Amino acid sequence: MSQSGKQVKSVSYAKYGYLFSIPFIVTFLIFSLYPTVFTAIIGFTDFKGVTATTFNFLKDPFANFVGIINNVTFQNSLKNTLIIWMINFIPQIGLALLLTAWFTNRSRKIRGQGAFKVLFYLPNIITAATVAILYSAIFGYPVGPVNDILASLHLINKPFDFSTDPWAAKLVVAFIQFWMWYGYTTIILISGVLGINPELFESAEIDGATPRQTFFRITLPCMRTILLFTLITSLIGGLNMFDIPKLYIWNGGPANATMTTSVFIYAQAFSGSYMYNRAAAASMIMFVIIAILSAFVFYLMRDKYESRSKKLIRMAKRANRKAKKGVAV
Amino acid sequence: MMSTKVVRSSGKNLGGAIRTMKKVLSVILCLTMTLSMMVAFGSASAEASKGVINVYSFTDEVPKMLARYLELNPDFGYTINPTVIATTDGLYQPALDQALAAGGADAPDIYCAESAFVLKYTQGDMSSYAAAYADLGIDVEAATKAADIAQYTIDIGTRPADSKLVGLGYQATGGAFIYRRSIAKDVWGTDDPATIATKVGPGWDQFFAAAAELKAKGYGIVSGDGDIWHAVENSSEKGWIVDGKLTIDPAREAFLDLSKKLKDGGYTNDTKDWTDAWYADMKGIGAQPIFGFFGPAWLINYVMAGNSGGTKVGEGTYGDWAVCTPPVGFFWGGTWVIANAASEKKEAVGKLINWITLQCDDKGLQYYWANGTLNGEGGTKDTVASGTVMAMSNGALDFLGGQNMFDVFVPANQFANGKNLTQYDETINNIWRDQVRQYTAGNLDRDAAIAAFKQSVSDQLGIEAAQ
Repeated sequence: MSQSGKQVKSVSYAKYGYLFSIPFIVTFLIFSLYPTVFTAIIGFTDFKGVTATTFNFLKDPFANFVGIINNVTFQNSLKNTLIIWMINFIPQIGLALLLTAWFTNRSRKIRGQGAFKVLFYLPNIITAATVAILYSAIFGYPVGPVNDILASLHLINKPFDFSTDPWAAKLVVAFIQFWMWYGYTTIILISGVLGINPELFESAEIDGATPRQTFFRITLPCMRTILLFTLITSLIGGLNMFDIPKLYIWNGGPANATMTTSVFIYAQAFSGSYMYNRAAAASMIMFVIIAILSAFVFYLMRDKYESRSKKLIRMAKRANRKAKKGVAV
Repeated sequence: MMSTKVVRSSGKNLGGAIRTMKKVLSVILCLTMTLSMMVAFGSASAEASKGVINVYSFTDEVPKMLARYLELNPDFGYTINPTVIATTDGLYQPALDQALAAGGADAPDIYCAESAFVLKYTQGDMSSYAAAYADLGIDVEAATKAADIAQYTIDIGTRPADSKLVGLGYQATGGAFIYRRSIAKDVWGTDDPATIATKVGPGWDQFFAAAAELKAKGYGIVSGDGDIWHAVENSSEKGWIVDGKLTIDPAREAFLDLSKKLKDGGYTNDTKDWTDAWYADMKGIGAQPIFGFFGPAWLINYVMAGNSGGTKVGEGTYGDWAVCTPPVGFFWGGTWVIANAASEKKEAVGKLINWITLQCDDKGLQYYWANGTLNGEGGTKDTVASGTVMAMSNGALDFLGGQNMFDVFVPANQFANGKNLTQYDETINNIWRDQVRQYTAGNLDRDAAIAAFKQSVSDQLGIEAAQ
């Protein structure tokens, strides 16, 4: 032992840590931080036009922001984004919770769970471009599978144009989002349930709780953090929704019905006029909106008991300090 | 004690093994690097006696032509370095713009632009980078006359700032009306192109009269409103933008009414172009058989032939087609070839561009292209920019029942108009056609559709409507 003790030098492994993190830091600085800061800056400038290489700050620094907020198409796109996100997310979390309840039910073992999970997750693995092409074929007009089925069921007597009707287009995009993401949400929720201490379920069983009671009184409250995670990631993803709306119907869809804010931002920057400054301003506005909404979700989902007890602790501490001061005086 | 010793010694062995592997790996890596460098230098010293010509393109069409040129002219002495970036996702233009702006040895010497955005490079924001053909050692006046280049091709390729020609195409994309012979015989008793041309045209009134006659026999005249759009678009006097303001030319505004007439009369299957239903009408399996399509030669060769449901006469609709003069002249698509004004190899670049766009004998690119012989017999025949070449080429196609399509397409190029385009056309056209569909579907009335169109253009492109 003494021999080997001589060989061991006091090596600081910290430097290797720094060394190994250099690639990430460099990549992050170049491809993440710099573009973000640059975007934030050009929102205040006159940077537009495809040949532009230089830019000047505007006299009225918020002109682009005011322009975007008053832009009717931007307002519509914001509405579209929220509508499409909601009609996709509410059924999505509902179905995911239902599947989670079934798959984690302790009294009924479902056979072939692994296969089902893979099948539910599958749409998420397929590239968005492929999904968009698939769905534009499925909802094809005047001939397409959906129209054929509806016609043979005598629900419609002439083909329905899903890509010209504004609401139909919105619903289809929301459905694609739902179909692509419910499997992912289910897997996340199942993993959340598996993380709950099984003793809780056992004691509930012993106490004679029904599966329904177990789900609503134990499973759901214990999943608060994982639900918060799902809600926040889905909110951010939903408000940045770009690929399906862009690829399913080009250029914002019928009467701009599927134009989300991200599609709008893309159009500002790259579809002819190259208004980088306005696109940057719109991006920053979206950043603020997403931050506010996320904060709101955090607030809604906070643990009320915990925050109340924290408050009590704070008050107690304050009282304690005051009492000490009183003693000193 | 024993166990620790064993572990330690095996650890040593493992370390030794890893060290040997590292050595082997580094030797292999060094070898590959040296080899690849040798290969790189070897090829460079073997061929590039004069230099490298950089080519930017959105398909491999032009790079393949240039590769063929090098095969045909082994003493040319330059190497071609092609960069191909597809136009999908709007990636080509930003990449090309940056390469042009950056300059230097890697800047493109030759670059291609599609009709949808060519104006940006010949007349618009990026036109200052283009070299005048005259500066490449080409006698523009004489050469364009000898090759009989269509006026619209020259108009698009001419820079307004100094009225100099900076770009030409190799294809001619003047359009014709492409119709089904069997339906023509059923309705009018003949499939003769000259007669059919007088039935479907000239002008839209005559076209709709023919549509009514076809409808009476259970046929649609075109597949959807997108089919007549290119003809409508090109027949307008003014482009979308006049003096920086959005302007709706009466001919283009009339598209609202023409489209509504087509839909209300049931003269179409109400398809959108480039969808499955549109292709189905080429095969003749739509809701009602469709009489014809508006399109240039490339539509026949690259789209319709593949979607006709057959590969030889008698299969599907293959061989049941013919072309005639359209009710309204138009062109659709095409590639323009432009040289970089900053290129230091102007003479060589000029040789290549001359071969592609202007040489009008049987050794020029266009002769091979027209007859489908660039890479041996039996290739796809296409219409080319030079009328001279087309006159001495044979455009007979089995797909058209043996008809020589050049008889129709050569005059068609003269009807096309190259003066009503803007660099924003792709975006504005999409917005306009969407609003027209909203109107014909009954979701918006006529004024609301126009107002929504103006709003969208103003919001998305920052271009205000003229009062």
